[in-house]
Amino acid sequence: MKNTLRVLRAEQNWSQSDLAERLEVSRQTIHAIENEKYDPSLPLAFKIAHLFGKSLEEIFFPDHD
Amino acid sequence: MKQSLPLWHRLSISYLVSTVLFVVSYFVARLLLQINMPAPFNVLAALLPVPFAFLWISKFIQHIRQLDELQRRIHLEALAVAFPLTFLLLLTLGLLELTITLPAEDWSYRHVWAMLPLLYFVGLALAKRRYA
Repeated sequence: MKNTLRVLRAEQNWSQSDLAERLEVSRQTIHAIENEKYDPSLPLAFKIAHLFGKSLEEIFFPDHD
Repeated sequence: MKQSLPLWHRLSISYLVSTVLFVVSYFVARLLLQINMPAPFNVLAALLPVPFAFLWISKFIQHIRQLDELQRRIHLEALAVAFPLTFLLLLTLGLLELTITLPAEDWSYRHVWAMLPLLYFVGLALAKRRYA
């Protein structure tokens, strides 16, 4: 699954650690999601979407799109 | 004003302390068993690590519970490496014992159990690399 997390984070001038703290996860988790090595669970994906004030579809989309 | 440590930090410290206590208790038991003590003291010495093992297990579970979803997956993948490989090792040793005499000094349970944590750390390193 692809995502725009890195772009959204950069727009807020947040480091990976800043975002990790806001989402209550480890920095490694943010790194893995941004590099598309790990797909977050639905609760975490919703938390990310809520934090950036966007819908899930605006942040996450399938590989073939 | 005294500032308390974050929960994850306190759990990690208690987990580390319980691990050290467990390992130390094992080697103390080994030392005590080298002394020819009468029963039931020799049995008590052999069982010395058991309460420390329970303490370690409870701290390990607490440690896992406070991890995030990716870290939990990493530990699960580490277990998925360590558990079947240790099982395979024990199974193979059991079968080999039916045909050849294995030297007890090298292949007894007190040597083989160490393979489980060792393979767990191998699995942990592999899983961490996968998500790095």
